[in-house]
Parts: sequence; structure tokens; C-alpha cells
Amino acid sequence: MRSHFLHLLLYSTIVSTFFAVLVRHDRRDRIRLGLYLWIAMVGGSMALAYLMFPFPN
Amino acid sequence: MTRPGATSHEGEPETGRHGRLALALVLGWLVPGAGHAVIGRVRRGALFAGLVFLSFGLGVAHDGRFALQGGDQPVLTGLQLVANAGVGIADLVGRIAVYGEPAYFLPRSTSRPEYQERMAILRDRASIELSNYGTAYLWTAGLMNLLLLFDVYDVWRGRKP
Repeated sequence: MRSHFLHLLLYSTIVSTFFAVLVRHDRRDRIRLGLYLWIAMVGGSMALAYLMFPFPN
Repeated sequence: MTRPGATSHEGEPETGRHGRLALALVLGWLVPGAGHAVIGRVRRGALFAGLVFLSFGLGVAHDGRFALQGGDQPVLTGLQLVANAGVGIADLVGRIAVYGEPAYFLPRSTSRPEYQERMAILRDRASIELSNYGTAYLWTAGLMNLLLLFDVYDVWRGRKP
């Protein structure tokens, strides 16, 4: 798999699922935290990528 | 002595409880998820094992690097080694597959043939396009498994349900 973006999605899914299960015990809380982490990781990376866009090197 | 919230080990003698905890921590490091199974949290362990092995498998599939401690940056490579080795036996198997032996360190002398061989393998792997992704997955697998050891301890102490 060569797509950087797909790796970002996959990696974020693994890590957010892991931490959601690790620190929350109720199913609803897990889903909420998992989504929050996933959006933070993906959204944060995208925002950083756009900020860095004018400075390619 | 009974701890508040103690669960699966209630009624066991103190030595037996500590022995079980030690076994859970060692097995949990060697085989992701096994520590949870030892203390009776099989489903939780199986889920974590799935995530750790998924990350490790993606790391191997994308030619992630198995760090060797030593060389110009001993501290940094030492930390990388800890992250890699956190996944337990799977890391050992990966190293044997990549280096042909359980290689964890670079010899101090750069003129030794082992140094040259290991560096050549490491450089070859680093030159592969997706190696950086693979390395991130490998480190993540190891670090997640090390975090799970703290979770095993917390569950055993009754701090977590």
C-alpha cells in the first residue's frame, strides 16, 4: 500500500481503537473517545500538511 | 491482605498472587494479550493482541527496520530497540528472518564483519520506499504492548474493571 493518506487512516484507526479500549470501559465512551482521537489524528495531520504546503523543502 | 477492587485473584495465597502477576507480565511481554489471559481477561487480551499483531504485521509487510543498538547514536538506537523489542517473541522472529540471527546490537568495532553485514542489511531495508511506514508500525506495536503491561498490572490491582 503506497498511499500516504491510507496509511494515515489505517494508523489512526489502530491507535485510536487501542487507546479507546485501554482507557474507557463503557462501550459508548469507547466509541466517543475513539472517534475523538481518530478525528484529532487525521484532522491534525491534514491541518499540519496544509500549513506545511508552502514550504515543500 | 485484600486490596480494594481485587477480583480474579481473591482467595489465592499472597505468593501465588504475586507469582501469577509476574507470569502475566512476562507472558504479556513475550506474547501480546497473553498477560490479560493469565489474569482472566481473555477477550480484552484477544482484542489487544489483534491490534498489536495487526500493527506488527503491517510493519513487517512494509519492510520496517529492526533497530540495532550502537553505532554513532547509541541512546537513540537504544530507544528504538526498546520500542521494537516491546512486542516480544515476534520481534525475535522478525530479526532472525531479516538478519539471519537474533541481532540486537552493532559491534563496537566498525571493521568487524558482523558490523558491515548488519549495516548493509539495515541500509538496504532503509532504502526501500515504504520502510519508514513499516518502522512506525513496528515501533507502535512494541510500544502498545509495553503499555499493555501497565494495563495488566492495573487490572490485577483492581484499579480497572
